[in-house]
Amino acid sequence: MIVAAEQERALAASVHESVGTGAELVVEAKGLVREYGAVIAVDGIDLTLVRGDFLTVFGPNGAGKSSLLKMLGGMMRATSGTVSIGGVPLDFSDGEWRRRVGMLSHQGFLYQQLTAEENLRFYGKLFGLDDLDRRVRARLERVGLADRAHFAVRKLSHGMRQRLALARALLHDPELVLLDEPYTGLDPAAASVLRGVLQELRADRRTVVMVTHNLAEGLALATRVAIQVRGRFAWQGVRADIDELRFERLYHQVVDDGAGVRA
Amino acid sequence: MSITGIRRAGTVLAALGLLGLGYVYWLSFFWVSTEASQGIVQRIFYVHPPAAWTSFLAFGIAALTSAMYLWLRDERLDWAAQSAAEGGMVFGTIMLTTGPLWGKIAWGTYWTWEPRLTLTLLLWFIFLGYFMVRRSTENPDQGKRFSAVVAIVGSLLIPFIHLSVVWFRSLHPEPVVITPEGPSLPGDMLTLLLTSVGVFTLLFAGFFMLRYALEGLRHELQQRARRAIA
Amino acid sequence: MSLYLRQVGVVVWKDLLLELRTRERIAAMAAFAVLSGVLFSFATDRSVVRAQDIAAGLIWMTIVFDGLLGIGRTFHIEAEDAAMQGVLMSPAPKDAIFLGKAISNFALLYAVALLVLGVFMLFFGLEIGSSPGAVLLALGLGSLGFVALGTLFAAVSSGTRMGETVLPILVFPLLVPMVIYGAGATGRLLAGRPVAEVAGNLKMLAAFALVALAAGAGLFRFVVED
Repeated sequence: MIVAAEQERALAASVHESVGTGAELVVEAKGLVREYGAVIAVDGIDLTLVRGDFLTVFGPNGAGKSSLLKMLGGMMRATSGTVSIGGVPLDFSDGEWRRRVGMLSHQGFLYQQLTAEENLRFYGKLFGLDDLDRRVRARLERVGLADRAHFAVRKLSHGMRQRLALARALLHDPELVLLDEPYTGLDPAAASVLRGVLQELRADRRTVVMVTHNLAEGLALATRVAIQVRGRFAWQGVRADIDELRFERLYHQVVDDGAGVRA
Repeated sequence: MSITGIRRAGTVLAALGLLGLGYVYWLSFFWVSTEASQGIVQRIFYVHPPAAWTSFLAFGIAALTSAMYLWLRDERLDWAAQSAAEGGMVFGTIMLTTGPLWGKIAWGTYWTWEPRLTLTLLLWFIFLGYFMVRRSTENPDQGKRFSAVVAIVGSLLIPFIHLSVVWFRSLHPEPVVITPEGPSLPGDMLTLLLTSVGVFTLLFAGFFMLRYALEGLRHELQQRARRAIA
Repeated sequence: MSLYLRQVGVVVWKDLLLELRTRERIAAMAAFAVLSGVLFSFATDRSVVRAQDIAAGLIWMTIVFDGLLGIGRTFHIEAEDAAMQGVLMSPAPKDAIFLGKAISNFALLYAVALLVLGVFMLFFGLEIGSSPGAVLLALGLGSLGFVALGTLFAAVSSGTRMGETVLPILVFPLLVPMVIYGAGATGRLLAGRPVAEVAGNLKMLAAFALVALAAGAGLFRFVVED
C-alpha cells in the first residue's frame, strides 16, 4: 500500500516534469465519470498523457476499462468530467480532433460484404484522406494482406480480419491510438503483426492507450501502467519501475482488494 | 426550489385542482343553463375542450423540455419532459373518451375525423411511442435521448398533420369561443368553460409537479444507494 | 466537390454496393410489392368498388409497409461487427452520415415504389392518366419523406430491445400527411384529373419531405451517440 502511494506520487511528479519540459500534451482527462442508470462504470478518473506515452490499463471484467477508452476516443459522453485531445475539449461535434484518434476494438468495424480494400477506401474517404490508393496499399502490405485486397471480409479468417481492423484503425495516422483487448482471439500470425505495429507506434512516439487483462502483452511495450478496479485507477506506475513478477502479485492483490489501495 | 418544495407545492395545487373540479361538476350540473339544440349532453363541453387544451399544453411542454434536454443535458429537463408527457397522455385520454360520447349525440356518430380530435389521437400515439422507446433501452440515458427525439420530431410535424387532416375533412362545428366579433357563447356557458380550463390547467400543474418531484426523489434514492455501495 | 458531399457520397456508395452484393432488402421488398398486389386484388370485390377508387390508397399503403420492411433493416448491416462505431468515430458529420443513408434508402424505396405502381396498374387494370410525370413526382416526394423518418426512427428502434416492432408506432402517426396528400394526389391523377388540381398536394409533400429530412439530419447525432 505504501509502495502504491509512493508510485503515484512519483508518477505525478514525472508527468508534471515531462509536461513542464514542453512535452506535447495529447490527452487530458479530468474527473471522468460514466453512469449507466444505477451502475457506475467509471468513477472519477484523471489522466494526462503526453506524446510517446504508452499506457496499459489492466483490470478485471466490468472494471469500466472499455467505457474509459470510449470516452477518451469521443465515442461515449461522460456523465461528468472532461476530456481534451491535443488541447481541444471533446464537444461531441464532428471536429477535426477525430482525425487524431484511432481505435481498435475486439470488434473490427468492418463491413463483411465489402472487400478488404473497399473497407479501407470507405474509411479513408470518410476521413477525407488524400493519396488514398498508396495509403491503402501500404497499410494492406504492412499487415500482410496485400494478396487478399479483393477478398470479401467474411471470407477472411478471424486473424486476417483483426489485421485488417488494425490497418483500418491506423489508416489516418492517428496521434492517439486506443486499443481495446486487441490480443483477444488472435492467431499467432496476427498477434505478431500487432506486436510489430505497436513497436513501430512506440518508436514513432505515438500515444497509445491499451486495455487488456493479458499481463505479458500489456507490460511488453508499456511506458506507464494502471490497474482499474470498479471504475477507478486503483494503482498507477511507471513501467520502468516495475518488475514483471512482482507486478503480477501486486495486480492480484489490488484486484482482490476490490476498492483498491487508494485508501 | 427543492424537490420537497416542489412536492409540497404540487400537493397544494393538485388539491386545489381537485376541489375546483368538484366545483366545475357542480356548476355544470346545477348552475349553467341547458343548451337549446343539443340538450343536457352538451354539458360534456365543460370537460372535453379543457381536457384537450390541457393535453396540448402538456405535450407542448414535453416537446419543449425534450429539446432543451438534448441541448443542455440537464437531467431535470428530462424529468420535466417525462412528467408533462404523462400528463398529456392522461388528459388526452379524457379528451378522446369524452369526444366520441359527445359526438354520438351531437353529430350522430362516435368518430369523425375532426381535426382536433384526430390531432389528439395522433399525439396520443406519438407519445405512446415516446414511452415505448424510453422503456426498452439497456442504457437509460439512451432511452431519454430516443424519447426526446420522438417528441421533437412529433412537434415539428404536427403542423403538417393538422393541415392535412383539415384538408382531408372537416365536419366539426367551427370554433365557437373566439370569433372576430367576440365570444358568441352565452355568458354563463363561457364563464364555466373558462373556469374549467383554469381548473384543468391547475390540476395538470399539480400532477406535473408531483410527478416531477417523484422523479427527483427516485434520483436521490439512486444516488444514496450508490453511495452506500461505495 | 466539397469534403461534406464526398462524405455523403461515400456512405451512399457503400450502402448501395452492399445492397448490390447481398440483394437482401431489394429482393424481399420487390417480392412484398408483387405479393401485396396479388392479395389486394383478391381482397377487393370489383362488383362493389371500382378498382381506380381504391387503388391509390392501396398503392401508398403498400409503399408504407414495404418501406418499413426494408428501411427498418437499414442499421442491421451497420450493427454487424459494430461497423457503425467506426463510421461514428470518423470526422464525417453525423448529418452527412444520415443524409448518405437516407439517400441510399431513397434509391431503394423509390425503385420499389415504381414497382408497386406498375404492379397495381397491371393487376387492377389502371391507366396512368394524363400526367405520368406528376404521379412519379408524388411517389418520389412521398418516398423521400418516408425515408427521412424511416432512417431516423430505424436508428432509434435498432437501439431498443423491441427492435422493428416499435417502428410502426413511431412512424405511422407522422406519416398521416404523407398518406393524405400522396394518396389524394395519386388518386386524382390516376383518374385523369389535371396536375393543377394536385399542385397543392405536391407542394405539401415536398415541404413535408424537407422538414422530415432536416429534422432527421439534425437529430440523428442524438440517436447514435453513446
